[in-house]
Amino acid sequence: MSRADAPGASLYHRAVVWLLFLILLLPLAGTLLYSLATSWSATILPDGLTFKWYLQLWGEPRFLKAFGQSLLVCFGALALSVVLILPLLFVVHYHFPKLDALMNVLILLPFAVPPVVSAVGLLQLYGSGPLAMVGTPWILIGCYFTIALPFMYRAITNNLQAINLRDLMDAAHLLGASTWRAAFVVVLPNLRKGLMVSLFLSFSFLFGEFVFANLLVGTRYETLQVYLNNMKNSSGHFNSALVISYFFFVLVFTWAANRLNRDKA
Amino acid sequence: MSATHKPRGKWLALLCLLPFAVFFIAFQIAPLVWVALNSLNTPDGWGLGNFEKAFASKFYMQAVKHSLQIAFWSSLFGMLIAIIGSYSLRQVDSKLRDFVIAFSNMTSNFAGVPLAFAFIILLGFNGALTLLLIQAGLIESFNLYSKNGLIVLYTYFQIPLGVLLLYPAFDALRQDWRESAALLGAGTWAFWRHIGLPVLTPALLGTFVILLANALGAYATVYYLTTGNFNVLPIRIAAMISGDISLDPNMASALAMILVGLMAAITLVHQLLLRRSYHVPR
Amino acid sequence: MSFLSIQNLHKNYGSTAIFSDINAEIEQGEFVTLLGPSGCGKSTLLRCIAGLTEVNGGRILLGGEDLVPLAPQKRGIGMVFQSYALFPNMTAAQNVAFGLRMQKVGKAESAQRVQEALAMVELGDFAGRYPHQLSGGQCQRVALARSLVTRPRLLLLDEPLSALDARIRKHLREQIRSIQQELGLTTIFVTHDQEEALVMSDRIFLMNAGRIVQSGDAETLYTAPADAFAAGFIGNYNLLDAPTASRLLGRPLSSQVAIRPEAIVLGQGPISAIIRSHSLLGNIIRYRVDAGGVELLVDVLNRSADDLHANGHPISLDIAASAVKEVA
Repeated sequence: MSRADAPGASLYHRAVVWLLFLILLLPLAGTLLYSLATSWSATILPDGLTFKWYLQLWGEPRFLKAFGQSLLVCFGALALSVVLILPLLFVVHYHFPKLDALMNVLILLPFAVPPVVSAVGLLQLYGSGPLAMVGTPWILIGCYFTIALPFMYRAITNNLQAINLRDLMDAAHLLGASTWRAAFVVVLPNLRKGLMVSLFLSFSFLFGEFVFANLLVGTRYETLQVYLNNMKNSSGHFNSALVISYFFFVLVFTWAANRLNRDKA
Repeated sequence: MSATHKPRGKWLALLCLLPFAVFFIAFQIAPLVWVALNSLNTPDGWGLGNFEKAFASKFYMQAVKHSLQIAFWSSLFGMLIAIIGSYSLRQVDSKLRDFVIAFSNMTSNFAGVPLAFAFIILLGFNGALTLLLIQAGLIESFNLYSKNGLIVLYTYFQIPLGVLLLYPAFDALRQDWRESAALLGAGTWAFWRHIGLPVLTPALLGTFVILLANALGAYATVYYLTTGNFNVLPIRIAAMISGDISLDPNMASALAMILVGLMAAITLVHQLLLRRSYHVPR
Repeated sequence: MSFLSIQNLHKNYGSTAIFSDINAEIEQGEFVTLLGPSGCGKSTLLRCIAGLTEVNGGRILLGGEDLVPLAPQKRGIGMVFQSYALFPNMTAAQNVAFGLRMQKVGKAESAQRVQEALAMVELGDFAGRYPHQLSGGQCQRVALARSLVTRPRLLLLDEPLSALDARIRKHLREQIRSIQQELGLTTIFVTHDQEEALVMSDRIFLMNAGRIVQSGDAETLYTAPADAFAAGFIGNYNLLDAPTASRLLGRPLSSQVAIRPEAIVLGQGPISAIIRSHSLLGNIIRYRVDAGGVELLVDVLNRSADDLHANGHPISLDIAASAVKEVA
């Protein structure tokens, strides 16, 4: 509509966007094709198509065990996060609003400090002695909680600010509810959307986590990513089916998060 | 308002913070403190011995050099692609735009081990894309497992992050600036030079810094690709703590502090540059 | 030949016509207002003149030259936007200097012209401030200075005062008008506020649904609306259909009529009525009266307590024949 863009310009923009899409699609498409190929060595296209790799994958007990263990650890970490972060958010935003500034700095730490660095300290602190949990899923749950923290804190904070926590609590108090009751009955249901979105997003992130899983636990409690790494030397087709299955599973979750986000808006 | 709360209520509230604090300190703060302290723990007592050894070692310095080079080039290329992509994304219709942005966000989940695997299929020595490019005469050969190969791989996973960060920044460019600049005689190039780029600069710098940090700390991708054999800082650090040949947690701590120091230095430069460039108060 | 001549202008958006076949002549130095409700096409017409929106047919002649094939950069037109559109990374002075920079005017001359322009809008001391440090009214004045400093042949203003509060709006209105007169600059002003239009303009083009319904000076538009829409848009006309008006005035009428509320005299005359309600609008009392089933608005100057009549009070009305305007 504006004169600033001539008709040829919109063709250019569409072309750029499609090109971007293709670049992003390429590795995924390649892996998908490989997972469906009977064999594909030094040629540009595969030799034939089959589902046998997927059948082999989903019949493999070690894969299923790794999948299940990944799910367990992720859900465990998310449950822990909810239990720890919700009270934190309520207390900070209702009683100590000034702490929000401090929290915003603290939640930068999981981003600013690469997992490799934390792993050095974690291995030493919890490798032996009374707090030994290296090699068990417990240390993963703890670490994954710190990873999920920034996502959840920010998403629910935005949600809390949108619903105007103080006014809601004041109204509840005037109607006779205690602080505890008000928090559970009035505030919590309103946080559903922010909570759900951040849970789905965190899950996607945690499910693909490798550094902590490999360095702190490794094969002693094999998660899906570690399993993928350990299967490196087996058939490429098998690994492709593994990668695609993993990605498809995460895709469904991210799609659910997107849908929820759109409902919110 | 909080003056009306009884002091007992406040102490109860603080108690609710305790579980969070315990876990956060245990899994985030304590390891960091341990690393910071033990980087100074040398065989000859407390001091800077580990750091001296690190800076004197050609091997460790090569790790630093490789890390910085890969981070810099992949962030640069990734950001350029993200800029061109984001700008065009804003100009296309909303259906296409929403679809590609959603797709970009989804592919950011593909990063790490799966991505390295996918790249081996595409661009490994017998990869489909490698063969295609060689047949088309565009390249003679391609070594994915080299520094340049890693730069290509890292650039790839920087793109979705770049788009995520830069796309909203273009929101800040109002259409009526473009129009009033046009009426005042500014063509496309003049607009970007005098108004567009200066206004975008804080976002561009911020994104670049985040991309750099993202690349510096990346471990999974390069580990899977090279089985831990390529010399970058995260690999070096991990090698010294994961029971391979040389177990040396104190040295690892020193290298870890160097890594964190690099990221801190980059952030500092970013802040300084921001102050000198134009700053939009939000 | 007038200075700005718009001939047979068409503009479509997809399959809908925003306007088709617009014609207008504007003399040099005139202050013309495009007035109309939202969606009537006035802003689009302005943007077409500026070259920010493509036209689908017709010509726009400025000083004899057709603007339609020209890019906005080449039209020599200044424009002030509703949202100020000040460049946030530049100070007020740099904003004002921008157009001169594009014209490659020398530093010394540019600095002087910038100073003069800022002084003209009474912002000489604010040259070094950034837009985020200025109030809305100040921003708009900088925008005005920026569009004037390049000595354009034509000045366009797209609802420049709508985003400002009432007090600033009044002040700026006067300032814009006096600067325009001082410079003798041909100006087109777009607004939906009829009071603004009536106060500032030499001529008003009243627009509705993509057509110019009526054009004329403020007095003409106000006292002689061309049709029912015009009568309904400007002022607070009482609009009556023919049979009702005939009954009220006691003589046959063939078309709809419009009667100004201040033209009805209260307290004397042949028509009997009852006061239903009244509102105090400061210096005017606005009555709603019921004259034999016909509701009328009557405005009376609030001179003294005698002018205030209670609700339910019977009253007589007089409507002069000259106050009854027949509208299409």
